[in-house]
Amino acid sequence: MNAYITGPRLRRAATAALLAALPLAGLTACEEVDRSLAVTDPDIINPGDVNSAAAAEALRLGAIARLNQATSGGESFWLLGGLMADEWRSSDTFVQRDQTDQRAVEDNNANVSDAFRSAQRAFLAATIAGRELGDFEQPGWQVGEMHVIQAYIENLLGEHMCNGIPFSVLNAEGAEEYSPRLTTSEVFERAIAHADSAIAAASGDEADDERVRNAAAVMKARALVNLGRYAEAAAAVADVPTDFEIVNEHSQTSRSNQIWALNNSGARWTMSLGEGGNGLDFVVNDPRVPACRPSRTDEATVPAFLEPCPGGTASRPFDRATPVPFLVQQKWPERESPAAWVNGIEARLIEAEAALAGGGDWLGILNTLRAGVDGLAPLTDPGTAEGRVDLLFKERAFWLFSTGHRLGDLRRLIRQYGRAEDDVFPTGEWYLGASYGDDVNFPIPQSEHNNPQVDVPTDAPVCIDRNA
Amino acid sequence: MKRGSVVRLTIALALAGASLFAAPTARAQQSGTITGRVVDEVSGEPVVAAQLSVVGTSLGAQTNQQGQYTIRNVPAGAHRVRAIRVGYAEVSDSVTVPTGGSVTLDLQMHTVAVTLTPVVTTATGEQRRIEVGNAVGQIQAAEVVQTQAVQSVGDLLTARTPGVQVLGGNMTGAGSRVRIRGNSSLSLSNEPIYIIDGIRMESSTNSTAIGVGGTTPSRVNDLNPDEIENIEVIRGPSAATLYGTDAANGVIVITTKRGRAGRPQWRAYVEQGLVYDNHDWPSGFYSFSAPAAPDEDPESCYNYLVASGDCTIDSSFVGNPATNDSLTPLGTGHRQQYGLQVAGGSEAVRYFVSGEWERELGLLEMPSAGRNRLEADGVNILEHWERPNTVRRASGRANLDIALSPKADLTVSTNYIALEQRFPQSDNNVNAWGPTLFASTSDGSYGFFDPADSFQDETWQDVDRLIGQIGTNVRPTSWLSLRGNFGLDYTSRVDQELCRFNTCADFGTNREGFKEDTRTNFYQYTADVAATGTFQLTPMLNSRTTAGVQFFRNLFDQNSAEGDQLPPGATQTSAAAVLDASESTSDSRTLGAYIEESLAWQDKLFVTGAIRTDRNSAFGRDFSAVYYPKLSVSYVISSEPWFPQPTWMNQLRLRSAYGASGRQPNPNDAAQFFSTITTRLDATESPGIVFNALGNPNLKPERSTELEVGIDGTFWDNRLNTEFTYYHKDSRDALIDRVLPPSLGIGSTSRLENLGQVVNQGVEGLVNAQLVDGAAFAWDVTLNGSHNTNELVELGKDIPPIIGTTIREIEGYPLFGYWERPFTYADADGDGLISETEIDVAEDAVFLGYSIPKTELAFVNGFEFWNRRFRLQALIDYKGGHKLYNNTERFRCVDAANCSGIGNPNASLFEQARAVAARVGEDGTERTLAGYIEDASFIRFRELSLTFTAPASWASRLGGRTLSATLAGRNLGFITDYTGLDPESNYGQGNVPADFLTQPPPSYVTFRINFGF
Repeated sequence: MNAYITGPRLRRAATAALLAALPLAGLTACEEVDRSLAVTDPDIINPGDVNSAAAAEALRLGAIARLNQATSGGESFWLLGGLMADEWRSSDTFVQRDQTDQRAVEDNNANVSDAFRSAQRAFLAATIAGRELGDFEQPGWQVGEMHVIQAYIENLLGEHMCNGIPFSVLNAEGAEEYSPRLTTSEVFERAIAHADSAIAAASGDEADDERVRNAAAVMKARALVNLGRYAEAAAAVADVPTDFEIVNEHSQTSRSNQIWALNNSGARWTMSLGEGGNGLDFVVNDPRVPACRPSRTDEATVPAFLEPCPGGTASRPFDRATPVPFLVQQKWPERESPAAWVNGIEARLIEAEAALAGGGDWLGILNTLRAGVDGLAPLTDPGTAEGRVDLLFKERAFWLFSTGHRLGDLRRLIRQYGRAEDDVFPTGEWYLGASYGDDVNFPIPQSEHNNPQVDVPTDAPVCIDRNA
Repeated sequence: MKRGSVVRLTIALALAGASLFAAPTARAQQSGTITGRVVDEVSGEPVVAAQLSVVGTSLGAQTNQQGQYTIRNVPAGAHRVRAIRVGYAEVSDSVTVPTGGSVTLDLQMHTVAVTLTPVVTTATGEQRRIEVGNAVGQIQAAEVVQTQAVQSVGDLLTARTPGVQVLGGNMTGAGSRVRIRGNSSLSLSNEPIYIIDGIRMESSTNSTAIGVGGTTPSRVNDLNPDEIENIEVIRGPSAATLYGTDAANGVIVITTKRGRAGRPQWRAYVEQGLVYDNHDWPSGFYSFSAPAAPDEDPESCYNYLVASGDCTIDSSFVGNPATNDSLTPLGTGHRQQYGLQVAGGSEAVRYFVSGEWERELGLLEMPSAGRNRLEADGVNILEHWERPNTVRRASGRANLDIALSPKADLTVSTNYIALEQRFPQSDNNVNAWGPTLFASTSDGSYGFFDPADSFQDETWQDVDRLIGQIGTNVRPTSWLSLRGNFGLDYTSRVDQELCRFNTCADFGTNREGFKEDTRTNFYQYTADVAATGTFQLTPMLNSRTTAGVQFFRNLFDQNSAEGDQLPPGATQTSAAAVLDASESTSDSRTLGAYIEESLAWQDKLFVTGAIRTDRNSAFGRDFSAVYYPKLSVSYVISSEPWFPQPTWMNQLRLRSAYGASGRQPNPNDAAQFFSTITTRLDATESPGIVFNALGNPNLKPERSTELEVGIDGTFWDNRLNTEFTYYHKDSRDALIDRVLPPSLGIGSTSRLENLGQVVNQGVEGLVNAQLVDGAAFAWDVTLNGSHNTNELVELGKDIPPIIGTTIREIEGYPLFGYWERPFTYADADGDGLISETEIDVAEDAVFLGYSIPKTELAFVNGFEFWNRRFRLQALIDYKGGHKLYNNTERFRCVDAANCSGIGNPNASLFEQARAVAARVGEDGTERTLAGYIEDASFIRFRELSLTFTAPASWASRLGGRTLSATLAGRNLGFITDYTGLDPESNYGQGNVPADFLTQPPPSYVTFRINFGF
């Protein structure tokens, strides 16, 4: 027979039950529990460990890596801008690339979002690194170098994105500081300010100081050109040597040259041949934009002068249904080919444009540049204002092929030289049987609606406008 | 629930559980023994493995092979002894135990035609089904495996219990995807957790470090189904509360086979089978206009260009490498399996030992044309290239049950698995064999690369896995049971990919040669300690109180090496010219404690209340612990004297349960951190760091609460069983991967925040019936089904809709719903062709449908004939109410330009219209993919089997006890409106099934012999 609970037993039971409940209470309070749940993850670097001069240097290297990813080390606006303009065609199957090629880009286009995010990463990395380098009193040229990267990204995004670009950052405490949308002009003004900061910071006599000042000068001039202030731009770059350049270095272990990877190796991109009527033919045996013929390309469909591509080059386009010839660039023929993101040639081109605008010897500047390259004959004056502008911009297109300049140049032809969109961009029938759209820049990604400073309905575009 | 109220509830539950420590210890020495035998009341044969328990105590025993049992240390006095066993009606009888003596109680059990297992496994131990307020899904794995074409645990789970959706693998070795009661989490995994023999099991999907394009293995399928006794499915938080944080998606509880006292019982089995493809692969259609000049190539002339007058078709071609004998890689695979098991032991030690070897050659084989080409080139064709999709598995298990003393038991379970599986390049991958068939060219050849080349890309995975469990059960008194369960599931996984020099598809740098070698160790630790007090509070009221503490640790440790540019003959990373290495580690720990009180009144009303609290290493620093309450009621209303007692009704039970559970964040989701990045500067690789993640100090688990109500009945002498359940699951503080504005520029694109609310609600039903139960012929049917609706109630304040290409997360609509701009079309000029001007694309996207089935039904018919020695069983599986993005056909129409809608002038107007809408768009720009988001409902002939059980005399002639043979088929056919290859074509293990250049699931025919001796 069993015993049933009676009064004294009930009291004992209550006491015992409270003891039983101790695990519940103890779990929330015991320090030992805290220790048992404390996990140190070796995969990450805690903010507390990023607090030294050495860490500031590591952040600087991080910013340089981010810049690399945002330019020649990624599927960046160096490629996307050329795809929307006339440098590149898509030879693969991704609809996102088709949208850009057709100039009908949706604001949830993943390629564009990635490229925009990548550029902003470089901007943030430079912002954080610059702050830390300053805090730990590192050489001024290093701080200036970070400002140059900021100015570069501002120029790049101002040239590629629509009107209304936010530049959010993190403050020193690691908290977000969201940015409102800046007009394109405001963005270029910020680039000028950052370039000036770079010049001020890199005030020493070391070679690195000079290198940073030259880069800052080109960045400032590029922004000034974008604002139509040609004379000021020419003045800014007057001291920049023509042979000056800063390159992204590439290797298989860190980051391959992605133009090589996506064109020469992956066959997802192909060079353009007079795209959409207005496009330039970039495969014209010009030593500035060398090209080759892949092994399975029908010789009858490509220029006869093309030599066979070297071994290791893709033999045919990724998408065999690509209706245009598969053509491979040789400007960066290898995975490791370095790519200049700023150079003195651009300084001279800026001076030439200023000279053209101001009645100077623009042609002489261009021909001096050409004289430095075997196989380039001197140019002659076309004789008309329109022809001179065409010639200048064609020279820019070849000198600066696929370095993130062409789309900005086409926009400037509309904005600053009064050209019609249909006279500048590829138009007419797009290759799938559809027609080209009317985009002249990229939309700010839809995900930017998560920015509390972007005060527009979520179903409305983030862009203020899509004008050139 | 607020913290204060939780504490009060804890104390209240603790008080209610007063009996735990209030037992009369003075009587401990005044005990005796109950012995007896349990037999079938008709045949007199012993009932083996019947579970006996002394009501109101923690004491019990199991019958041996002679039906005998012994229960020791029973307090002297009057007791009631209960016996339960699947296939028999529960019986009980009274007995009086003499002090220091022994009493005999023999019981007779009578069979019932159809019954569910009378016991279910809960987090606090086994309980009678009628005491539990939830419906618990059960799969008698041991029986299913012997009689069906089951290749994996995923196959075992498919269509056998309501509310569980399994999307099976699409090739040999591919993992399954499991959803229970829909998707609850937007940003975390919606897979359930798995418990095997009481310990947490590594169950990750996408378990590979080297992708082949989509298809991946799952660690769940490492297990040998032949070693499993049964599987129970805990469907949601109302039942899974005590399994703690991470159990909100349900719990799958696997119990492996164990020995029974008696002489050794051997079982040997052999299985041979065929694996084949049963689909009509699409042809490529090409139309061309006449060449502009004799020396020029003809131009493609698509239907819509003809319609718009831009070209005229001069010639057309249809080709299909999948049906070309010399080009197709679709062959016939072979499956073989050999196993030997033995179970037996004594009262003191019982054992189960099992060993199995299995090999499955997938259906892919190197096409003869490619093979001939390689041979002509003098290439030495390796076996792995010829058959690139294989699984080899050896599995060994030893389970021991040891009675250390009359008051203490020890259980030990060990399982070793050695696995090697190989996958070809597949799915979303230019090197893969599937896309090259789908994108076939106008000459009927491959769209991308010859499979003979891509099969040279060897990707394989070696797994060595040891699952070890040791448990003790100590009963110091008749009312107290102490339980400890400790385990480690250790998996060593080696993933490798090799393209030897000058092999593989000529894409990128493949033929320079490369090798990747990634070695990963997974550790799943479990420590589970609990005390249960069972007490009879009054003659009518029994109490069972359990308090316990659990610790789980999930450690992931990975090292990877990659080498590019191999010299001829080299196969190791160290031989490569360019080397790269990386490592990755994650560690997640959970510590939980719980207390549960169960009250049983007159063995007809059962009330259980519990609370659990968890802390986890992944919670934010400003969040401490989470509390999960639970309350369930089970009421056998038919036991009430006032309830009508018609002769056709055996039992009617009402039940309801409420409970909460959670999903923990990933290990680093709460942390703010920097990451490393390498850059090349001045010709040197230099290490840098970049800001990566914002972190979230307030991060806490996603919390799901669930209310479940149901009614269960058994009728007509237990020949009809029914279960009906309604559930409402509300997931709050849903972890949303909040997209960060790109302008912020940090590494992570999102941050996990507790923002949203997701509701799943639905109904589930199970009916099984023995319609005919004669001596020579029998017919049984089982119907199970469920219907689930899902709604994203709230995405979070100020969170804009999450918009993907075809999937959007919009408040008021289901998670992962399909959205696109609808279109209409009309052949205005009546030419039988659709042009871009004959479609009309709407301006805004609209909701098109669910991405996972809303409704599922499984119907099993079983016939036994020829004196019931033959059993013919068929399983028909329906899933419906959902859509699938036929991205394969979209690719064929938009990119490969070889689909019927583009190149076949006789294509239907719809085929043409959707192709035009996707490829060109209205007026050349307004495109939509809506035409490829298709109804994916289907009825599938999932299983068919014919089993012959030989007379005992036949087996004895071979020196054995039992002999049976089964011929079984799987995935034998289907009916659907889906225009892709198969509505279950899926390579993704994510939340949205993905049919993109994906091979469909294969079919199986197997023959199996089981021999017991």
